[in-house]
Amino acid sequence: MKIYRKIALYVLLLFVGSLTVFPFLWMVATSFKSMGEVFRLPPTFTSSALFTDRMWDNYRTVLDQHNFLRYVLNSVIVAGSAALGQLFTCSLGGFAFARMKFRGKNIVFGTLLATMMIPVEVTIIPEYLLMLKLGWYNTYLPLIVPSMLVGSFGTFLFRGFFENIPSSIEEAAFIDGANPWQMFYRVFFPNAKPVSASLIIIAFMNNWNDLLRPVIYLESNRLYTATMGLMQFKGAYGAQWHLLLAASVVSVIPLIVVYISLQKYFVSGMLTSGSKG
Amino acid sequence: MRYGKVAPWLFITPTILGLVFFRIGPIIAAFLASFTSWNVFSPPQWIGTSNYVELFNSGTFWMILRNTLVFSLMYVMGVMVCGLFLAILVNNRLRAITFFRGLYYLPVITSTVAIGVVWSWILSPRFGVLPNVLADLGVHNIPSFLGDSRYALLTLVMVYIWKMSGYHMILFLAGLQNIPEEYYEAAKIDGATRWQSLRHITLPLLSSTTFFIGIIALIQSLQSFDITMAMTEGGPNYASATLSFFTYINAFVHFRMGYASAMSFVLLIIVGVITFINFYARKYWVETVD
Amino acid sequence: MKRNLVIVLLATLLVASLSAFAMAEQITLRYFMWDPEFQQMEAELIRGFEAENPNIKVEMTALDPTNFWPRLAAMAAAGELPDVFSMSTGYIDTWARDGLLLNIQHLVDRDLNLDDYFYNVFAEDRFPNKDTSDMYAIPYAWVGSVLFYNKDMFDAAGLEYPNDDWTWDDFQNAAIALTIQSNPNRAPEQYGFWWYGRYSHVEPWVYANGGRILNENKTRIAIDDKAKEALQFLSDLTNVHGVSMAHRDMAGMRQQDLFPLQQAAMWVDGSWMIDHVRTVAGDSFRWGIAHVPKGPSLEPGEERSYYWPDSVGIAATTKHEDEAWAFVKYLIGANRPVETYMPGKVPIYKDIAYSEEWLQQDQQPGNMELILELGETPVRTTFNMGWSEWRGYASTGGAGMNGELDAVTNGQQTVEQAIENITRDGNAVLERYYPEP
Repeated sequence: MKIYRKIALYVLLLFVGSLTVFPFLWMVATSFKSMGEVFRLPPTFTSSALFTDRMWDNYRTVLDQHNFLRYVLNSVIVAGSAALGQLFTCSLGGFAFARMKFRGKNIVFGTLLATMMIPVEVTIIPEYLLMLKLGWYNTYLPLIVPSMLVGSFGTFLFRGFFENIPSSIEEAAFIDGANPWQMFYRVFFPNAKPVSASLIIIAFMNNWNDLLRPVIYLESNRLYTATMGLMQFKGAYGAQWHLLLAASVVSVIPLIVVYISLQKYFVSGMLTSGSKG
Repeated sequence: MRYGKVAPWLFITPTILGLVFFRIGPIIAAFLASFTSWNVFSPPQWIGTSNYVELFNSGTFWMILRNTLVFSLMYVMGVMVCGLFLAILVNNRLRAITFFRGLYYLPVITSTVAIGVVWSWILSPRFGVLPNVLADLGVHNIPSFLGDSRYALLTLVMVYIWKMSGYHMILFLAGLQNIPEEYYEAAKIDGATRWQSLRHITLPLLSSTTFFIGIIALIQSLQSFDITMAMTEGGPNYASATLSFFTYINAFVHFRMGYASAMSFVLLIIVGVITFINFYARKYWVETVD
Repeated sequence: MKRNLVIVLLATLLVASLSAFAMAEQITLRYFMWDPEFQQMEAELIRGFEAENPNIKVEMTALDPTNFWPRLAAMAAAGELPDVFSMSTGYIDTWARDGLLLNIQHLVDRDLNLDDYFYNVFAEDRFPNKDTSDMYAIPYAWVGSVLFYNKDMFDAAGLEYPNDDWTWDDFQNAAIALTIQSNPNRAPEQYGFWWYGRYSHVEPWVYANGGRILNENKTRIAIDDKAKEALQFLSDLTNVHGVSMAHRDMAGMRQQDLFPLQQAAMWVDGSWMIDHVRTVAGDSFRWGIAHVPKGPSLEPGEERSYYWPDSVGIAATTKHEDEAWAFVKYLIGANRPVETYMPGKVPIYKDIAYSEEWLQQDQQPGNMELILELGETPVRTTFNMGWSEWRGYASTGGAGMNGELDAVTNGQQTVEQAIENITRDGNAVLERYYPEP
């Protein structure tokens, strides 16, 4: 590649990168300011509190007085259990659709396919009434159970993966007298580590970022997830941008850390989901 | 039938439960509810098609339908152009290219609420950094991006495109990497310019990916609740409200479950039409590599 | 030996049955309130009540208003309303109509000496007729609308502070003098005034001019000429005189922060904002409150003040009516410590409101007795069924009447167009709630 072309590409990459990263930098920069500095014109990038005792004041307020750590922990619980639950149901379903023959399979699978695209806004009202009837309002169950049971995407992911496993392995296990559960759990599932990782991460991310269900179902402050906490914080402290942005930083950091450490699964998960329409 | 007759059903029990309780059941229930007047406190009353009549006679509803259409079109086009541009950009063999891919993907994993918060702050007319920088550059009459009914919806779309382009970049990248290198080499030998090989090789061979991404983007665009809630709450005066947000307002703020169900059914029909198009039209529109 | 055993057994049995009897007498009331900030203080209040009534235990849940209503609605749907809960004027009609609230008129008549209370305020808790019907909730506090003004800015501009004789022209001239714009290409650094479509910004001006937004029965929108005059006055402040910010330019700010952050010199809102101004502004400037100036078309005898209560209601489904009422009486009565009232919220019990502890003359604004005068005059409000829908309240991003008036401040439509839209859309909502006008 010619050198000037290379330079041009890097300039372009950096330019686009700065567009991507600026809001994040501005978020972090503002989160260290005092209220007075937030409303100062013209806006400055750095805060006078940087590297002084007052530097972490906003974070202290957000974490001590507003329990954001609790919200983050709640999100880990909700997103974690939903993701693990999805792994369980989707791998089972994907296995059945890929390797088993049974009457009605096409109908069930077709329904799954046909309803995959339906936005949650369509089903949320009856779901809400159902949750009220079940007495699940203001618990984590409405956040976990529906997401766990309707993991269409994950089912497709596993179905695609299990279909490509050669049947010779299956034959050998049958000869050894494996029952269906053992076949799934001992033979197939252990091979599906990359798929499982991708699914867990994507399900975790989707549940972490979900807003509609927490808004509708959670009422107690102590149950709030990080996004819900942030939304509530926005309502209550609307223009206290220094606190609001500190809270934003706290709510996004866990996911960014997970993302950076597991980046390749994120991308491969996306790719697999992308190639299966 | 080596797995027997029972095992398969045991394996798909969770899937079936999910389908019955959170897909098929709610759809039927929503359909029935859309013919009732129901505020949750008191039992529903059957009112026939009144909700639909009210819906189609409501100026606000038509405005919201138009908003939804505008939002979807802008989003789909924006995210596809940006996604493809980013994909082509990061489909170069350069040092640190994975770093840039990762960077461009960052907004995708960040919660919409946090994105909405920071962009609202950046765009805020009086103290926001963007209007102030623009004013310093001598620009007059800078609009209020989120407060002006003419721009609020547009701003929402822009921010959402900014957030989601990385996602579509990854999908396009997968498509790009499936195109055999030899095609480009052959074109090069024939003396084709970069633009020509993009126009005559990349885009045609990418058409199946493009089509798929278009559908994904369209569906995403109809689920714009988060970004609307986080940035404008549909305001000013519903100028930036879309169908999914309006459904939420009527169901969970005004507690008009029947009316909101009718609305959600309109959304369902729109999605149904799109899925139908996806199913039948793709074979006519898409050129395949295999 | 054997006899001893029998005695012990009998004694045990006796104690057990006695305690079971005592347990049966113990009643637990569930109480939901909407101000988590005051949870601590209310908890103390509840301890006081429990000490006086050892057989009643109160279990309190505090939620902020955005979560309070969905939660309460869900509980109502499930038939599990708490015995006692906070009630807003905006919802009282709908809830009373749906049979969720206990009619407490007979209890009020039986137990309360009305002269002890700001009795005018009770009207807002009547249903369906605000003057004659029975009460379905009872206020524990109320807020009135006042004009906030920044004394430092008035001094800097060399202006007299607002007084009771101020006309709308006086107000307008002051607002013009208080607006500072040094760069014509940029927005003013300081606005003289601040209003947008919010109910507590608009209604006070309408009523100060003797106008009406609703018809006599409060079942339809019927904006009269005096109301229109008030709206036109407000519109001109923004669009002709440029003394108030267009609504679109406040995106990214909260409306209640403009005054305390010294972006605007004057502001009309509910007196409960006093606490907010104290918190945000601190000692950064001197400020005071005044009455909203009387309009040019106000005729004698037409004076109506705009104030509204925070109430408590009892669920129609409660199993402990007497205990719930005892608790409600305690919540609104003389025993309630003044600290449990957010500064600017007026206690319904007069002795507390007129006490030095509530008036806080050593703190800004220093003249809170001015709010109390409002409670002695008759009230007018726009609250009715469907209010939050047609008025554009709650998280609707400024829809309804709110949104139409915002568009006026943005210069997108005239007052006439706004009135036309408000009337048409508002009545479409109201026809659902009141088939008969």
